[in-house]
Amino acid sequence: MHLETDTDKCTGCRICENFCALQHEGAIWPTRARIRILSQSDDGPFAPNVCRQCDDPACAAACPVDAIKPDVEAGAWVVGEECIGCQACLDACPHHAIFFDAQLGRAFKCDLCQGEPQCAASCPTGAVALVP
Amino acid sequence: MFPYLGYAGKWLWVDLTEGKVESRDYDPLLAESYLGGNGFGTRLLWENVGPDVDALSPENWLIFSTGPLCGTVMPNPGRMEVVAKSPLTGIYGDANSGGFLGPELKFAGWDAVVLTGQSPAPVYLAIEDGQATLRDATELWGLTASGTEQEIRRLWGDALVKTAVIGPAGENLVRYAGIQITAQRSAARCGLGAVMGSKRLKALAVRGHGPIRIADPKRLSHLSLELQRRLLANPIFPAVSAHGTPGIVSLMNAMGRFPTQNFKAGGYENADRINADALYSRAFVRNVACFGCPVACDKVYQIPDGPFANTSLRSVEYETLNALGACILNDDLDALLAANRLCDELGLDTISTGRCISFAMELWDEEILNLDDTGGLPLRWGDMSVVLRLLPMIARREGFGNLLAEGVRRMSETIGRGAEQFAMHVKGMEIPGQDGRAQRSMGLAHVTSTRGADHLKAFPTIDETGYPDEGRRRYGADYLPELVQPLATKHKAFLVKDGEDFGAVIDSTGMCKSGGTFVLAEIYWPDIGAAIEATTGMSMSVKLLKEIGERIYNLQRCYDAIHGITRADDRLPRRFSAEPSPTGNARGQTIDIEPMLQEYYRLRGWDATKGWPTPEKLQTLGLGDVAACLWR
Repeated sequence: MHLETDTDKCTGCRICENFCALQHEGAIWPTRARIRILSQSDDGPFAPNVCRQCDDPACAAACPVDAIKPDVEAGAWVVGEECIGCQACLDACPHHAIFFDAQLGRAFKCDLCQGEPQCAASCPTGAVALVP
Repeated sequence: MFPYLGYAGKWLWVDLTEGKVESRDYDPLLAESYLGGNGFGTRLLWENVGPDVDALSPENWLIFSTGPLCGTVMPNPGRMEVVAKSPLTGIYGDANSGGFLGPELKFAGWDAVVLTGQSPAPVYLAIEDGQATLRDATELWGLTASGTEQEIRRLWGDALVKTAVIGPAGENLVRYAGIQITAQRSAARCGLGAVMGSKRLKALAVRGHGPIRIADPKRLSHLSLELQRRLLANPIFPAVSAHGTPGIVSLMNAMGRFPTQNFKAGGYENADRINADALYSRAFVRNVACFGCPVACDKVYQIPDGPFANTSLRSVEYETLNALGACILNDDLDALLAANRLCDELGLDTISTGRCISFAMELWDEEILNLDDTGGLPLRWGDMSVVLRLLPMIARREGFGNLLAEGVRRMSETIGRGAEQFAMHVKGMEIPGQDGRAQRSMGLAHVTSTRGADHLKAFPTIDETGYPDEGRRRYGADYLPELVQPLATKHKAFLVKDGEDFGAVIDSTGMCKSGGTFVLAEIYWPDIGAAIEATTGMSMSVKLLKEIGERIYNLQRCYDAIHGITRADDRLPRRFSAEPSPTGNARGQTIDIEPMLQEYYRLRGWDATKGWPTPEKLQTLGLGDVAACLWR
């Protein structure tokens, strides 16, 4: 399973970012969202950007302690407790879809919300959708 | 320690005279009694800016205020309220804008910014997370709205800085200068941009990276998704989402509720040249949303060719299509859009600007103004070459523009010679794009609004186009059919009062009136109460919430009352009662607001002779201190 995004449908409203942060952090917190809206200007176009759950992920390959592992049930790659905060995964990801939490000293990324991604559930235009 | 989540729990106090910036704790009692946003600003204005203070003097306060639901996952939570005494009306003033600034301020750790005094030289307030400093704005002074925002972003090296800025109109104290919010949305009305200019404050610039903590994330998430589901299922959602407010141009035109030629008529024969379809086919580029909004009523537009080729703009609203279109008999859409963009850049409220121009055009028509008065400019209906020349003259107070910059009421007083009978204002505020002859509730709303002529205080949408389903759902079958009939007067005082109280709450939470609360009318008292509980942890019954709405609205009326407003000021220009509407469904109609107004005072518990809240009413709202001051 992975999330697919559609730039033509995105209005730049950030609802996906907000529900993502609320799910993972219990707060509205765009800088902790696992999905981010990218844009060249306030007028768009807007591109939702989120982990592709690659078959052979560069982030996991780059991790020196093998902290990025598959969560088989959710169908997602997740960052484990072993993460040492070296940020090699951030450099490796070609999609810029893994992030660093400076307070915790750990990487974080989309975990598909245990199979029910809140971004897809909350996107009003279908610009973010879960596909099998 | 502030006990409620959802809030940042702190606000910034800025003395521009002294150059001091201080952090203040949010008062829990203030949050419980007034929520935030509009209520917070109203209470502070009441306590600190008395009748002896001129709106453009350093002693006026300028209050930027978010609410507890601003920046949450509720549908459309991106609004910020601005409150000050108005230099246009001399009474209570507020304006409201969507966009991203309100949430950004909370991400930076602040619920509100309150400014007083006057800086010796131009400054802007820079807020980066917990740090707030006044910075030199000498180089920004004189720049347009988007020019100012671009320059601040360049200086900071950050394209995501959110701003509130004034253009030249605010700097030059045009009495209806607005505040531009990133940078083509406007907190437009009441001339609050002139208040900002009088303080020599060019901009707020905000960047925040922190969290807005939520008391019960699961409950809020569930509620917000359910409300969004209801919005998307609403039968008129597709139209509202596709076209935004321009979508109602043709409907209002057919009703005879689309002010035309300075309100001589309520319909424009060429409305189909400036309606949603015309706009969409000519210039639509893409949908864009404010923070957290599933409706996305905003659009990016760009003129593809012709004399205004490549002019791009956002937030083209019904009101502007009326004010710079039908009301001045202009059917040139490209020129209208160019004028809209110019108003945004100069920092002019398009409604008041358009009304000052339509007023002047009617005076020209009536031969009350001539070339000597206008400095050689002929003011023929629909002449956009003159309008486009006039806009910068207004913003810079040059020549005839200096008179227009004063607003319709002052213009009529200065011109004299019978101009008064064509001056379309209530309490000094230019009347927006409705006509009480075609929709009774709007006529009443224009006179009972606490900021002068306004549709958005009561915002009676239920009878605008006649939505029996929404009317029945909200108010019950007993109120039908009259409640949803535009020309009926029965129940309209009730509708207006309920709208004013609910609107005061919405403007105090940081929610939007356009996507779900009034337009679409899906989100109502119980939903807002539940959202406040889930977000903040505060107990909030519908009864308590209604009391808060009433408290805020009554306090605004009391603020107007200590500035000399009485029931004698609660009246429409004589045109609406003396000249039958010639157009649409309203043909032959005039409006007599007196019976509705009597009913309104009765429902409000206000003294019917003075038009003031009675001491008893104020006591029940916990405003005994206010009663003592008003009725001494």
